[in-house]
Amino acid sequence: MTAKVLFVIFAFLAVVGALGTVTRRNIVHGLLLLVFTFLNIAVIFFLTEAYFLAVVQVLVYAGAIMVLFVFVITLLDLRSFEKEPQTHRRQRWVAVVLSALVLAEFVAVLAGLTFTSARAGFTPEAISAAGGNSRVFGEVLFNHLLLPFEVASVVLLVAMVGAIVLVKREKTAGGMTRHWELGEELPSGVLEEEV
Amino acid sequence: MPIPVDWYLYLSAILFVIGAAGMLVRRNLFIILFSLELLLNAVNVNLVGFARFHEDMVGQNFVIFVMAIAAAEAAVGLAIATVLYRNRQTLMVDLFDTMKG
Repeated sequence: MTAKVLFVIFAFLAVVGALGTVTRRNIVHGLLLLVFTFLNIAVIFFLTEAYFLAVVQVLVYAGAIMVLFVFVITLLDLRSFEKEPQTHRRQRWVAVVLSALVLAEFVAVLAGLTFTSARAGFTPEAISAAGGNSRVFGEVLFNHLLLPFEVASVVLLVAMVGAIVLVKREKTAGGMTRHWELGEELPSGVLEEEV
Repeated sequence: MPIPVDWYLYLSAILFVIGAAGMLVRRNLFIILFSLELLLNAVNVNLVGFARFHEDMVGQNFVIFVMAIAAAEAAVGLAIATVLYRNRQTLMVDLFDTMKG
């Protein structure tokens, strides 16, 4: 009963944070509300007895990924965008109506469904008897899902290399790093001079 | 008494729809990336809820992979945002309407 009450409270807070994220004009405010949403989702993982994932949600999602966003936002001058219109002029009402229709569809489908549990045996009692959530989590991950785990590491490597290649400034022929000032047009022929 | 699986599905559906609406409505590339993270988190809620309901561990393992993909997407998306800002001095996605290829 306590878990249900807490679930409703934190689910409500997560939805409020998500609504704030997509409506704020200031990007940093939106980002902080997104972190708030992630922390509430971490609490929901905790209530579901997915303790390891709750910690990973806080450390990796709310910590690492969001800090990456903060760094990039501080590197760019984004305050000037707050004066511009924040929504697409023609498609915003269509988008809102379509989203509401999709939500209504979700609710209509879910209201008519009943699920039967597969009962695969990983009950909370069995998990705590086998050494806790993190241990069972790791055993299943490295016994049954080792190949996807390695593929995920390759995906992360490719993303890292891709990010570095994308943001790297090309060197000019003299070996000097080329700097672009804001608003400056690229000098013609500079692309051919790259080494 | 565990939390009913329907509640996870409703929460996930609401978060997903908010994220999808944010992607369609907002012009700012950063808000679109935030909405993308919201979509991925809605999927995570679903996976965790069903893992608990089916008393299975693989659903929780899948969340790790979704998080890895989210990290990769955030890194590449932010790199693209940086390059776009450097070249065009704007991040409003409807202004990126010319190709040069």
